Amino acid sequence: MLLGGAISAPTLMGALDAATRSTWTTAQGWAPRTLSPAQLELVAVMADHIIPQTETPGARAAGVHRFADTLLSDHYPASERDQFLAGLANVDARARSRHGKTFVECTADQRVALLTEMDDVAYPEGRSDAADPPPDTWFFRRLKEVTLVGYYTSQMGATQELHVTPFGVYRGDIPYSSVGRAWA
Amino acid sequence: MIEYDAIVIGSGITGGWAAKELTEKGLRTLVIERGRNVVHRKDYITEHKPSWEMPLRDARLSVGTKGAEEFPIQARTGQFRESNKHFFMKDAKNPYIEDKPFTWIQGDQVGGKSLIWGRQVYRWSDLDFEANLRDGHGVDWPVRYADIAPWYSYVERFIGVSGEKLGLPQLPDGEFQPPMEMNAGEKFVKVGIEKAFPGRHVTIGRVAILTQPLHGRLPCHYCGPCERGCSTGSYFSSQSSTLPAARATGRLTIVPNSVVHSLIYDARKNRVSGVRVVDTNTKATREYSARLVFLCASTLATTRILLNSTSPQFPNGLANSSGVLGRYLMDHHFLAGAYGSIEGLLDHYYQGNRPNGIYVLRFRNLGDDASRRDYVRGFGYQGGAGREGWGRGGSGRGFGVELKRRLHDPGNWSFGMTGFGECLPREDNYVTLSDKTDEFGIPLLKIHCTWGDNELAMRKDMAASGAEMLEAAGCTKVRTYDAYTGVDQLGAEPGFAIHEMGTARMGRDPKTSVLNAHNQAHEVPNLFVTDGACMASSSCVNPSITYMALTARACDHAVEELKRRNL
Repeated sequence: MLLGGAISAPTLMGALDAATRSTWTTAQGWAPRTLSPAQLELVAVMADHIIPQTETPGARAAGVHRFADTLLSDHYPASERDQFLAGLANVDARARSRHGKTFVECTADQRVALLTEMDDVAYPEGRSDAADPPPDTWFFRRLKEVTLVGYYTSQMGATQELHVTPFGVYRGDIPYSSVGRAWA
Repeated sequence: MIEYDAIVIGSGITGGWAAKELTEKGLRTLVIERGRNVVHRKDYITEHKPSWEMPLRDARLSVGTKGAEEFPIQARTGQFRESNKHFFMKDAKNPYIEDKPFTWIQGDQVGGKSLIWGRQVYRWSDLDFEANLRDGHGVDWPVRYADIAPWYSYVERFIGVSGEKLGLPQLPDGEFQPPMEMNAGEKFVKVGIEKAFPGRHVTIGRVAILTQPLHGRLPCHYCGPCERGCSTGSYFSSQSSTLPAARATGRLTIVPNSVVHSLIYDARKNRVSGVRVVDTNTKATREYSARLVFLCASTLATTRILLNSTSPQFPNGLANSSGVLGRYLMDHHFLAGAYGSIEGLLDHYYQGNRPNGIYVLRFRNLGDDASRRDYVRGFGYQGGAGREGWGRGGSGRGFGVELKRRLHDPGNWSFGMTGFGECLPREDNYVTLSDKTDEFGIPLLKIHCTWGDNELAMRKDMAASGAEMLEAAGCTKVRTYDAYTGVDQLGAEPGFAIHEMGTARMGRDPKTSVLNAHNQAHEVPNLFVTDGACMASSSCVNPSITYMALTARACDHAVEELKRRNL
């Protein structure tokens, strides 16, 4: 494993690789329609903690934050959009009360600790089949979902981290070792 | 007024078949379609488009979300997505009134729902054709399997069906291309169920998707989402199959953007003499005439046209002296079943997006010891196995490198299935015309339909038997589910299976049915109804191929009758 089992500091400190830089370059002319620049950055930083850069690009490089802005602008009903924006504000409020800074301004360790707290509460006892997740954790669960969808349906996520099943034949039973990665 | 030999109303699964059969038999045929034109290949605007080229990444557009504003009914179905919304009816174009929740999913284009259908095709057997007679629900079908079997073969050879022959009377074999393969999880469950329950059978879905070339169409390339349209014509649609055949005769005319208002009845001759049409763009009205009219507009649209075709002779709707027109509406009830996990098999995987699942044949009420006292008729299951994908990351704790590493590999195997249950024909499930009209001046349909005690009792068994079989097969963490939560709730309401049928049923007696054994109106000889409206019972298997077989058979009869100058 390239970066070990912990969240990697380099991705948090904005040491962007070539792919990430090119994403920002090609993003010229693009502007968020719902998120403020600060909110956009907050989403990008949180998403990149959830799916960080490893041998392959992470969520920020794949533009998950821009996908989030598209969802908020063109898909979510107003009530869900507002709930998401309120969730972002809560993240910063929590960071301020704990560390006196916005989430983005916190150190990597502080951010990971805050996210770990939210993650633990959102998925009680680590159970995936909890009947009713606590209602005040809606935002974090939604953010994780948006990150996963935004990342794994992006070209980077689908073709570099995973791969797209080729057209042509269907084979119902092949050794997994012959594939080695999940299909996107 | 332009004169044709035959008019076919609708261009979907049955309209396409009627067009093909009638033109090939020499009739100059006009197909009237309310929706826009959709050209094979050219208009499949999202085909093969990767997820990252779609702004919402092919999101499911559920009710209330942006992107679904014009589709408040259509968005109820899980089939409705960013990549295929252009093949669904904008609901304001055809509003209707729900007395009780009833979801009417509609296409609004040339090809109709044949572009977006589920493609599962199963023959009926005499278990189905004799069901009404046997238990007294509904009226006896005027046909039996032997009457329809050659037409099933005729249809299958043309549309192309892949599947496995089983030699079982409750689900007759057809003219099959080689079956698609099951994956390892499905093979595991099949072996387990068949071992634990002798007499129960699990097979790969029989599906109108090619595994070998046919009539210039290519075998499936397993891209996955058929409902975006298929340029290789690998699944049956009007565009890929029947309409090109009809066009090749030189005798086909299609007029899109033309909604039928009503049929014109000539009392002196006792014939339908023509069709009144409203142009959906200009609202101008037109009339067409022909010697023969086939109603293939889809179950509810067809019955609405008949109800709106009134005259002194037929004040309650054309060919409706019996009063049963509009009644005995059915759909399959589904979304009750079970799911579970399969341990191990982690070195097994699959390649390609197989647009097909598995089928568990009906095993209830076949006259053996698996028969039930708490309900009549039966159900089959559709389902499948797969390994969990990256989406599982959203349902549990963890983030960061650890999560990304975990999602790099597929997860455990899981298996899920839903029953598809037969629905009894009941007089109190009906449609009528409202006093309100749509923008074309056509009265809105008012739909009253609920599940009855028999369906609700069957659903309990669909869930319980599903769990029992999965546990016996060796699955773990087995759970049952039932999406139906009450008569006023959405979730598994009538219509939701998109197998709505009945309301202009076939039968032996003109006093209790609208159509005879050849889908011909008892009372108006040159009027034929061959879409789902004609059904006198519902079986539990997907209905489309039966509509196709009945359509081809009715066309054959109609042309013979024309030749004999009986029409």
